[in-house]
Amino acid sequence: MRRSRTGFAVVALGAAAAMVLTGCAQRSNQGAPEGGSAQPSVGYPETPPVEVVPGKPGGVFRLGITEPTAIDPYNVQESEGTSVANALFTGLVQVEPDGTVVPGVATDWSANDDCSQWTFNLKPNTHFHNGEVVDATSFKRGWERVAAPNSGSEVSYHLDVIQGYEEFQAGQAPEMTGVQVASANQLVVNLVQPDCEFPLRTNHPALSPAPAAVGPTSDPNYTDAPIGNGPFKMDGKWEHDKGIRLVRFEEYDAGPKAYLDAIEFTILNPQNGVQLETDGFKAGTFDWARMPTPLIGPNRAEFEPQGKWLSKKTNGINYFVAMNAEPPLNSPEARKAVSMAIDRAAIAEGVFKGAQAPADSIVPSLFPDAYQPGVCDACVYDPVKAKELAEKAGLTPGTEINLSFNTGAGHEEWTAAVRQQLEQNLGLKVNYQGVPFTDHLNNMEAKGASGLYRLAWGADYPTPGNYLIPLMATSSIKLDAEGKVTGNNYSRYSNPEFDALVARASATKDEAARNELWKEAERIAIGRDLAVIPLFQRQQFRLVDHSKWGNVNMDFNEDPTFDQIFLK
Amino acid sequence: MGKFILRRIGQAVLVVLATTLLVFLGTFALGDPFASTGDRQVPPAIAEQNRAIFGLDKPLYQQYFTYLGNLATGNLGVEYDQRRPVADMLIDVLPNTVRLALVAILIDVIIGVIAGIIAAVKRYSFSDVLVTVVSTVAIGVPTFVLGVVFLAYLAGWGPFPAVPRPFGSEVPWYQEVLLPAFTLAIVDAAFVARLMRGSMLEVLRADYIRTARAKGLSERVVIGKHALRNSIIPVVTYLGVSLGVLLGGALITESIFQYNGVGYLLFRAIAGNNVPIIAAVVVFAVLAFVVLSLIVDILYAFLDPRIRLD
Amino acid sequence: MTTLPPPPEGTPAAGIPPTEPFADPDGLHSAGQTDQRAASAVEGKTVATRRRRRSGSPGALADIWSRYKRNKLAVAGLVIVAVILFMAIFQPFLTPYDPFEQNLLNTTAPPSADHILGTDVLGRDMYSALVYGARLAMVVGIGTMLMSVIVGVAFGALAGYKRGWVDAVIMRFTDILLAFPLLVGAIFVVRIFGQGVLPVVIALVIFGWPTSARLMRGQTLALRESEYVEAARSIGASDTRIVLRHILPNAIAPVVVYAFTSVGVVVVAMASLSFLGVGVPADVPEWGRLISQSYNFIRVPGNEHLWLAPAMAIVITTLAFAFVADGLRDALDPKLRGGN
Repeated sequence: MRRSRTGFAVVALGAAAAMVLTGCAQRSNQGAPEGGSAQPSVGYPETPPVEVVPGKPGGVFRLGITEPTAIDPYNVQESEGTSVANALFTGLVQVEPDGTVVPGVATDWSANDDCSQWTFNLKPNTHFHNGEVVDATSFKRGWERVAAPNSGSEVSYHLDVIQGYEEFQAGQAPEMTGVQVASANQLVVNLVQPDCEFPLRTNHPALSPAPAAVGPTSDPNYTDAPIGNGPFKMDGKWEHDKGIRLVRFEEYDAGPKAYLDAIEFTILNPQNGVQLETDGFKAGTFDWARMPTPLIGPNRAEFEPQGKWLSKKTNGINYFVAMNAEPPLNSPEARKAVSMAIDRAAIAEGVFKGAQAPADSIVPSLFPDAYQPGVCDACVYDPVKAKELAEKAGLTPGTEINLSFNTGAGHEEWTAAVRQQLEQNLGLKVNYQGVPFTDHLNNMEAKGASGLYRLAWGADYPTPGNYLIPLMATSSIKLDAEGKVTGNNYSRYSNPEFDALVARASATKDEAARNELWKEAERIAIGRDLAVIPLFQRQQFRLVDHSKWGNVNMDFNEDPTFDQIFLK
Repeated sequence: MGKFILRRIGQAVLVVLATTLLVFLGTFALGDPFASTGDRQVPPAIAEQNRAIFGLDKPLYQQYFTYLGNLATGNLGVEYDQRRPVADMLIDVLPNTVRLALVAILIDVIIGVIAGIIAAVKRYSFSDVLVTVVSTVAIGVPTFVLGVVFLAYLAGWGPFPAVPRPFGSEVPWYQEVLLPAFTLAIVDAAFVARLMRGSMLEVLRADYIRTARAKGLSERVVIGKHALRNSIIPVVTYLGVSLGVLLGGALITESIFQYNGVGYLLFRAIAGNNVPIIAAVVVFAVLAFVVLSLIVDILYAFLDPRIRLD
Repeated sequence: MTTLPPPPEGTPAAGIPPTEPFADPDGLHSAGQTDQRAASAVEGKTVATRRRRRSGSPGALADIWSRYKRNKLAVAGLVIVAVILFMAIFQPFLTPYDPFEQNLLNTTAPPSADHILGTDVLGRDMYSALVYGARLAMVVGIGTMLMSVIVGVAFGALAGYKRGWVDAVIMRFTDILLAFPLLVGAIFVVRIFGQGVLPVVIALVIFGWPTSARLMRGQTLALRESEYVEAARSIGASDTRIVLRHILPNAIAPVVVYAFTSVGVVVVAMASLSFLGVGVPADVPEWGRLISQSYNFIRVPGNEHLWLAPAMAIVITTLAFAFVADGLRDALDPKLRGGN
């Protein structure tokens, strides 16, 4: 029988009766077509990273991006802005695409016993694009500029582990006391809690240095052409909605000089930008291009044999926030039942056309030392087991469950598929709701929120802890006076055992031992409790001509490694 | 006459004022612009500070009057996302939209008026049926379908530049404007053709045309001089208002072709919940529409002696 | 040639309904603006002298039909409209598959014997989805049309009959709504009421009624001065009775014509809203939604059916209603195109 749909109470006369009569007369639309494969094959293989070799100067690298929020470090947010900011600025440390931490402006760094105080020694006499020398004061200046009250920054929370941040941000202190200039070339940072991975954080553009000539964050004349210390500098101003041009900084001395003469970013319409990138690549106007989902298969078939294909599993997980504190998902069994009723492989194949890989963990494979394949044992499609678990958890047919997503971001189709699977496999009554992102956020935060909410998470810093702690630690719930969640743990998962493990991991200096603790924590939160429901592992595809460009790899922010690329 | 014009201006001001209030209230439906950025929530303390920077912590009526006061002095405020002055952004994109609107209207006139005249003069002929059918079909096609098809099959072909064009290799405006102008004009030209045909048919039945013919004037003079002059009035008024609509920006068409005009600006502002831009563009669009309607009404009153004004 | 009634505060008198279907260059503005343009564009036809006969009598209907029949396109349009309505009403009998049922193992399949129009991005049978879309289009199209016409006629008659400040207030409201960009207004409304069919209808009614109100007002203004209304008034008929019994039947013809045109307008507007992502819920096979979900497939060879099929459905529906409106206009108003 057909299900009832919202909003169709107003159907034409007699139709209701007709529907009841004919539900059975309609053919079943299931099963694979003749000659098609019943067993979907999912996920395209990753391409191996390109080996970095010495190159020669020259070449203009062109690519399309969408309009960034900012390229000035004070408010760099998305991949596009990060891409430009990382070319313009060099922070204390740098992170290679494989996760290794290498020196940036700092030559070495060390922590006290519990990782609550860090000391960075800087390379002497490196320079900003305007000739100023980069020293410890430059970093303090840059950080305080971001954290300053009324800076307008939406990303200053990257500094919130530093002592004195809160007082300074609220305007109650003249400086951020935790950042101390010990000498011209030594920076000491005191943290509010132990963090043995703090140097990773300093790779974020928000923690870039600023010259004395820096302009206020409210002045577009400066923020559209910021003065950095990176391997590239601005060539003219950022022409909003048109493009950004960077040229090599010839006097770069914080590391090896870049090979590329220039980088040209063309700013595209966000609605069909990725399609335009592909078109531009085919027409020879872009050297690096994304593509819309439907084109991934055809593009791979066409370009992989020509050596113009790049595929990489990256920093990101699509998941469902599952409201742990409210029925019906207030038991691990209920959450596992829902999870096992979702056929991730069929969605990945049918809707994403192989472009997304089903997730089997929350810490993605990008972290080979902490990734545990299959740690989410309930991420397997098993409708029979799902039904059993559902019965145990009281998730009986007819139970109402919210399924919410944000509109206009490409989530319409796959969530519609999940809806149907939950209805078919568990007989749930799904309240399917698409709303703008701000409403989506409000609904998740609100006291008493229940059900499933689509969300994605990408770590800010390349560490497993940046998945586990924000998404599942009790400290990340941050209830305000009205009972609203103001942290990132919307699921409201709260488990002292897990909290203790991640706290121990953060304070563990030894990397191997730390990774073991991350793994143990994930086995509890995901393997046992399924605090959130992992769905798809983010995978990215790019068109790039490896026979033309050397050293092209994709970095942590899914951008090309500009500082290494050279024209063959 | 003077009284009529004054009254119309008064009404226009009223409409624009009401629009500002409507937009001001409407944007609250869009939600808190500072609560989130990208796919992330902004920490409440920071969001609060940002709201204060833009005066959103003040009482509603105060916000509205501040906004009105600024508007009166031509200050459109600073947008939320990148902190750019909205007036500058609007001025940047305005010439593009003006060009697009004018070219579209020009295409309307060329295609629509000529097709309409031919159809009317050769009534019931093959060309008449052709014009009727083609224009009806054209009117039935939604603009976004037409735009998407043009983008997929025509961009980068012949005189039509490819979309996108890389930074630094802009094409001349008259090329850039072609595809979006055609997308907009096809529906409108079809409309003009039908209007022209109907109007011309009616004029051709009028006594003075019969007289002109009886006097032995050539058909060319009758059509070209007497009939055209009288039958073009409705087309001119139609195109005038149409221009008013187009000047407010073509939301869908401009976005599809990534044409950097008022409509594309609005499109991105809506997607990014950027209230100051939305408010400015909507008020501007209403203003353009109201002013052009006003001009058309006054023109119409002058042109058509049968209208009695008091 | 008699003079027109004073133009309603400078807006060109809406004496004659638009002869053409509504043209909206970009959907940015409300339906009314362009209709109004069309109305204003048709030259000074008088209203008061035109319809003397009460159009309700059987003889009149037969007359109308005999004139309607002469327009072949209008007859074709009527047939298509009938087919669409039939599909909408009997959709469950006509769809080989449940239009909501997805099959992720068989998405974006080209047309075949099993699926005559192929399948969409969720593996739903495209033909079934389109027929369901027809039902939705008719429910929304006709529902919106009826509501806007009822509201519009009521306010229009009130404004035209009462004149004075009532008239001024109502007309200023229509001015504002007609000048406001439709899509932006609709986005506001949908954000307030949430996503769904009803909010879309509400938005379209809010921005749709002013046009019929203006048409009705123009008619009423002219008719209230006519001899038989004077006569009715002189024998002491109440205002309500005069409006309902004497003015409405004589004024309704252009509104009816407009109503038919507006169904096509609403279908396109709903599709445009879905295209912008503020239409009906994402898993409802609405025509505009079917197009927007295939937006990314537009340059993938072999997937043309994904957007071509729903686009054709919209075009055919809009055309059919336009033809009918055209024929009705001719049939109801013989003087306009007659004389040949």
